[in-house]
Amino acid sequence: MVESNEGNGWSGGSGRRTDEWSECLTLIAANEDRAAFTRLFRHFAPLIKAFALSGSNMSATHADELVQETLLKVWQKAGAFNPEKAAASTWVYTIARNCRTDMFRRLQKFDTPLSADDVTPEQESEEPFSQLQSRRRRERVREMMKELPPDQAQILAKVYMEGKSHAEAAGELDLPLGTVKSRVRLALQKLQIQVESYSYG
Amino acid sequence: MAKFHPEIDLLTEYSAGTLPLAQAACVSAHLNYCAQCHRSIEQLEDVGAALFDGLQAEAVGEAQLDAVLARLDDAPPLRYAKPEHREVGRTPGILQRLMSGQYTDLAWKKVTKSLSISYLKTGDPDFEFALYHIKAGGRIPEHTHHGSEMTLILEGGFSDADGSYHQGDFLFRQPSDVHAPTALQSEDCICLAVLDAPLKFTGWKYRWMNPFLRLRAG
Repeated sequence: MVESNEGNGWSGGSGRRTDEWSECLTLIAANEDRAAFTRLFRHFAPLIKAFALSGSNMSATHADELVQETLLKVWQKAGAFNPEKAAASTWVYTIARNCRTDMFRRLQKFDTPLSADDVTPEQESEEPFSQLQSRRRRERVREMMKELPPDQAQILAKVYMEGKSHAEAAGELDLPLGTVKSRVRLALQKLQIQVESYSYG
Repeated sequence: MAKFHPEIDLLTEYSAGTLPLAQAACVSAHLNYCAQCHRSIEQLEDVGAALFDGLQAEAVGEAQLDAVLARLDDAPPLRYAKPEHREVGRTPGILQRLMSGQYTDLAWKKVTKSLSISYLKTGDPDFEFALYHIKAGGRIPEHTHHGSEMTLILEGGFSDADGSYHQGDFLFRQPSDVHAPTALQSEDCICLAVLDAPLKFTGWKYRWMNPFLRLRAG
């Protein structure tokens, strides 16, 4: 059995691990490096499987399929990863998220010309934000995440890991939609996520 | 630079991948014009990634690794050209994909003297995804909604009782908001509208059209 290097728990505060995964991606892109890919697989496959099974609306077979599809895509797209503009773990997470969305649409026989990559492409910073600045921001998010009250952490997990819309989360937790929305907002405020305030609606 | 943006709930659902396809496509088109929301999405994805990294790992069999390794030769790493720099003002990529051409190449259906509509197919069974072309100075008859209406301004601009909106601005109206947008005098306006229930004209002159305005989702 392959175990994640990290097991549970947050991957260190130094950002060193993140760099290790960036290096693996760079090696894959440059030399089709299978050893680097294997390292990535051993770390990320158990997380992707956990991601697939959270919310438990995916069968074990489909979860295994998602692991394979996501990591194949990581292999194929490694050349698009830019370590100066994105973090490796965020990049892998967005690929897993998109693969899951596409898989659900496929299972529901959704007939669409759009793939999840068209609709939610992997983001790249526009400005050459200093790497240091971005890393600090990510570390802050990870630190603050541990401080969140359980009800807020629970909602974020439902939204991001289980892939539930706010309305679905409200239904499952038997809460008014407004309560779910305000818990998400409060959590994001604590994590200091910046959003344009001048919005309509 | 866009002045009106999706609120945080929509950005959160977009970044988590839980927003319905048609609405997510509209938010994605807004990002084409909006560096601030683009940055917010990056930060929200970091939140997703932090949760992802913290998951309780599930054991994966060695056979899975072998299976993937065996497939690598059939799927060599793709070569990427230098990514083109995003130009503000360019037609959002997602619309280019759905239109396969320019706005002028689309089949436009004339609704009133100054309003034409072109429906695009996203495959989302719950939402109509349409482009509205309003002639300069032209007015969309006063209407209300049974459901929600997401609007993104692509070209030109329009104003209504609440304000005026320009390229890249994103509006999200709730059921029963009544408004009568008028295109700016200087140029034609093209906007994207994503609806989950048909428009309903409120003025006597256009009310007869309501039965024809059924939702064209898909």
